[in-house]
Amino acid sequence: MQNAKDSFYMALRARLTAINPERTFLLRGAVRPGILVEEAEAPFNQLPNDVFVLRWTGLAADMDLASAMAAEQCEITYQTCGTQSFGGLDRGRALSAMDEELMAMLQPFYTPKLNYAATPAAAMLTQVFWDEPVFGPAAINRDRLGRSASVMVYSYQEQGE
Amino acid sequence: MLADALLRSAAGSTALLRVTGTNTDTGMSEVGLVATTFAEVPVSPVLMRKLRPTWQEGGESKWELLVSATGVAQQVDALDLESAQALFAMTLAVTVAGQDYLIESIASNEAFGQVYIYRLLLREARQQGV
Repeated sequence: MQNAKDSFYMALRARLTAINPERTFLLRGAVRPGILVEEAEAPFNQLPNDVFVLRWTGLAADMDLASAMAAEQCEITYQTCGTQSFGGLDRGRALSAMDEELMAMLQPFYTPKLNYAATPAAAMLTQVFWDEPVFGPAAINRDRLGRSASVMVYSYQEQGE
Repeated sequence: MLADALLRSAAGSTALLRVTGTNTDTGMSEVGLVATTFAEVPVSPVLMRKLRPTWQEGGESKWELLVSATGVAQQVDALDLESAQALFAMTLAVTVAGQDYLIESIASNEAFGQVYIYRLLLREARQQGV
């Protein structure tokens, strides 16, 4: 299951770099594409703005198959205060831009499954695939506008996993 | 300087800021596969004080760490960073007397336009696996 989570994140990260190379942020001393896995970083007292934050929540498994299938729920949270040059008045537009980027990142709805514990990452036999995202309502917190989208990510358990 | 003297006179001690290395721009470190290189940056004098206990079930105690601005400035220069904020942004945890704490928020006190003390709101970190 971890390989599916890693593959999903790396696919979105690569797609984001192609869709909007300008969306970067500084974390742990490195400039990175504007996406992160919350559970692989130090705890945040406040989530960063203008960054997609992946949070793995639900888990289900279907064992009545030749290969067990895991369904993992990924909550993708993002928020923005707009830009300083507009005094934050463009925060609605900034959120819409992130909505569109997320929709573009999620297509196509599959990616090869790779084992990132190996160097270089080793291709596995199956693919990771996911549903269309379910977008939540915009959350308004004073000057911050955010949204959360939920995606169900499916993968087959391969031998040795 | 006066702030340093006050901190020292009130049993000031040393805190270790656990900062990350800068070579983290790899996919493996972003998915938690590779432990980042860490360095422990000592700052002193510091003073810990426990905040008013509003204990909740499963909640951790909160502390305030008063850190000398001159101690921080020395490390900012040594690490060739832009500002104290950059140093705190790189900090994953703070160790005082062997106990790890996570930073909740950072504030500073100024006099005549100069910061003389940083106030770090800390939360006790839970024990991690070895």
